[in-house]
Amino acid sequence: MLLELDSIQKRFGGVTALRKGTCTVKAGEVHLLMGENGAGKSTLMKIVAGMISPDAGQVRFRGQPVRFRNPAESAAAGIAMVHQESLLAPHLSVAENIFLGREDRHALGWINRREIEARARRLIERHAFPLQAEALVGKLSPAGKQMVEICRAVQQGSSLLIFDEPTSSLTDSETREVFRIVQELRLREVGVIYITHRLEELRSIGDRVTVLRDGETVHSCMLCELTTDQLIQHMVGRAVNSLYRREPLPPGAEMLRVKGLTCEPLLHDISFTLHAGEIVGMAGLIGAGRTELCRALFGIDRMDSGEVQVDGKTVRIRSPRDAVRAGIALVPEDRQKTGLAIDLAIAPNITMASLRSVSNMGFLNLRSERLLTSEHGTRLRLKYDGPSQLARRLSGGNQQKVVIAKWLATNARVILFDEPTRGIDVGAKMEVFETMDQLARAGAAILMMSSEMAEVQSVADRILVMRQGRLAGELPRGASQEDILRLAAFEEKVAQ
Amino acid sequence: MIQRLLPFATLVALVVGLAIASPHFLTGPNLSTVIRQTTVINIMALGMTMIIISGGIDLSVGSILALGGFMGTLSLQKGYSIPASIAIGIAAGTMCGLVNGTLITRLKVNPFIVTLGTMGIYRGVTLLISNGLPVHEIPLKFAFLGSGTGIFDIPIVLWILLVCAVAMHVLLEHTRLGRYAFSIGSNPDAAFYAGIPVAFNITSVYAIAGGLTGLSGMIEASRLMSGQPTAGQGYELQAIAAVVIGGGSLRGGEGSVLGTLVGAFIMGLLSDGSDLLGINPYWQQVIIGAVIIVAVWLDELRKRRGVS
Repeated sequence: MLLELDSIQKRFGGVTALRKGTCTVKAGEVHLLMGENGAGKSTLMKIVAGMISPDAGQVRFRGQPVRFRNPAESAAAGIAMVHQESLLAPHLSVAENIFLGREDRHALGWINRREIEARARRLIERHAFPLQAEALVGKLSPAGKQMVEICRAVQQGSSLLIFDEPTSSLTDSETREVFRIVQELRLREVGVIYITHRLEELRSIGDRVTVLRDGETVHSCMLCELTTDQLIQHMVGRAVNSLYRREPLPPGAEMLRVKGLTCEPLLHDISFTLHAGEIVGMAGLIGAGRTELCRALFGIDRMDSGEVQVDGKTVRIRSPRDAVRAGIALVPEDRQKTGLAIDLAIAPNITMASLRSVSNMGFLNLRSERLLTSEHGTRLRLKYDGPSQLARRLSGGNQQKVVIAKWLATNARVILFDEPTRGIDVGAKMEVFETMDQLARAGAAILMMSSEMAEVQSVADRILVMRQGRLAGELPRGASQEDILRLAAFEEKVAQ
Repeated sequence: MIQRLLPFATLVALVVGLAIASPHFLTGPNLSTVIRQTTVINIMALGMTMIIISGGIDLSVGSILALGGFMGTLSLQKGYSIPASIAIGIAAGTMCGLVNGTLITRLKVNPFIVTLGTMGIYRGVTLLISNGLPVHEIPLKFAFLGSGTGIFDIPIVLWILLVCAVAMHVLLEHTRLGRYAFSIGSNPDAAFYAGIPVAFNITSVYAIAGGLTGLSGMIEASRLMSGQPTAGQGYELQAIAAVVIGGGSLRGGEGSVLGTLVGAFIMGLLSDGSDLLGINPYWQQVIIGAVIIVAVWLDELRKRRGVS
């Protein structure tokens, strides 16, 4: 056995993150680690990588009991981790980041920059990544940063590699490249631990699987012995249908009309409408301009030209404040960066955009704030201890519900969801979809940006497809993934 | 929870320890000296609490104190009434805060840099107006502000401090402005995305802190019975230290009035105790410096344990 984890326990303050984390990994196998958010996967892997130390239980690496005090010790033993959230230095170059902490130095401590860049270039070429060794990491896309992380981990020549959701921000071709690297590592007798939420990608790479639930290992077996539904059942502890099916409503009055929206150089002449009770999906490849469209509609980026009507009235949107006043809400892609104040309690997060409604002459009514919080908490089935619990202590899915509750409290009529299910688990995904359905039934018009075509297909009443900053076309409910992909990537309707 | 109470425990321990160590400590004259000395910093620190909660910092408060105190005493010299002159001192401080807030939000320059600049500008302006000379022609009655006693024989400055502290507590915990300060300090992007008028609220926070500093300037002028253009040098660091010892975080989103009061009194008692026990005043600086580092270190430990 390469790695053996035996009954690992870890508490943070009063919260038990791991009760009984048990897992074994062999050299030359790809071991999937599955579980809902908050199940303890990341905590377990951080213990292996030496980022935190366990309270009880034993870690054995190559048969020897080990206790890493910091990441440098685990790296020296041959363990590397590719993080979900980039842990890179944004002001340093790609090459400097790849070799950070293990540069070849001259006698006096000088760093040989040219040598490092040459080695980085060879590494990048070997994996055919679209990276430049001397580019600054801060300027890279999330996918680019992920590739740097992968190069960094592979370069160390580690015997155990941990991937924490490596493909959640990658395009299909980049994902294939990650898979190819994983296969290559397996052939080199490296042990790979792979954490993912994407059910559809498991089969193509995994050998064995360990499922964690509420901090405990509940199942461990060969992947081929399990069906996907059984796997989900182990993860959530109850039977769940893996595909959501929404019953569409007849669309109501027009809620949003966008005419000729242009935002150089990213968005060109975009026009569409949304109706009350509708969920419209917005598909497209990464970089097609979906997030930019959200930003323009919500007043974060200034639009160059175009007109926006909400509920039949033309509105000028030059800031998020204007957008909120007009009745538009945005559930942003990056929850922790722009959606939540994670160090504040749940109640102030929920009332952040609607504080006027719970205050009088500038003074807050804390009682009605608590009432509002519990009302929305119940409505969204939020799992929390109380209104003064910190948002940081919630799981990803519950944090997402707090963001949604914030907009429910403003009575927004047009709600933009930008990648609403990124990084949340299957059970929470279903609940987010149900919430969107509820909102639509209550008369809201919903636009959902999503990179996952299966998700757009199963949730949306209509599908808009973007390509290179333009609206490439519209597809009805039930369109196939091939239809969407054709519009998103290939078909050049625009006369050259 | 135990560690959250640490500042309070430290304060109690200091009081008990000093009471045992020195017979002069628990006497009316000594306590009122401590209070009078601490209040100026304390009132400034209340404003600083709100600024730090909103994710900012203000290095210019020492200079604002001098400008406010000088403008107020200048008005007294010119024959304005005492209440009018106090109001002028406060207004001058508010204006300075308003300028700080406007520069920070309009130019989008880091508050550390903006207030580092205005620290020099306000000090320079005060020196220019005064030509470097203090104001001495002040009506004797003005001494009541810094040295008088009010109801129950308690120093007037303590009453002023209490009123300001209660008002600041209400402002922070029970008004929209206070809540917005926490939201902006905790995550400015999320606050902006939620449609909060970020620039307006930040500017208000600096203006309010400026007003409180102007009031401190008048108290300081009354204690010295002169308007000194060089007053308040280094006070900004003491005000920041009081907030930080009391649990405020320079990363924003955290801090409380009670914590700041405790922090300011801990520093006041340390210096008073050193005097009473005959400790070399040079050591006082070393001790207070060490206390600041230890306080923030313990706070970090608490947070690290609570959060993965």
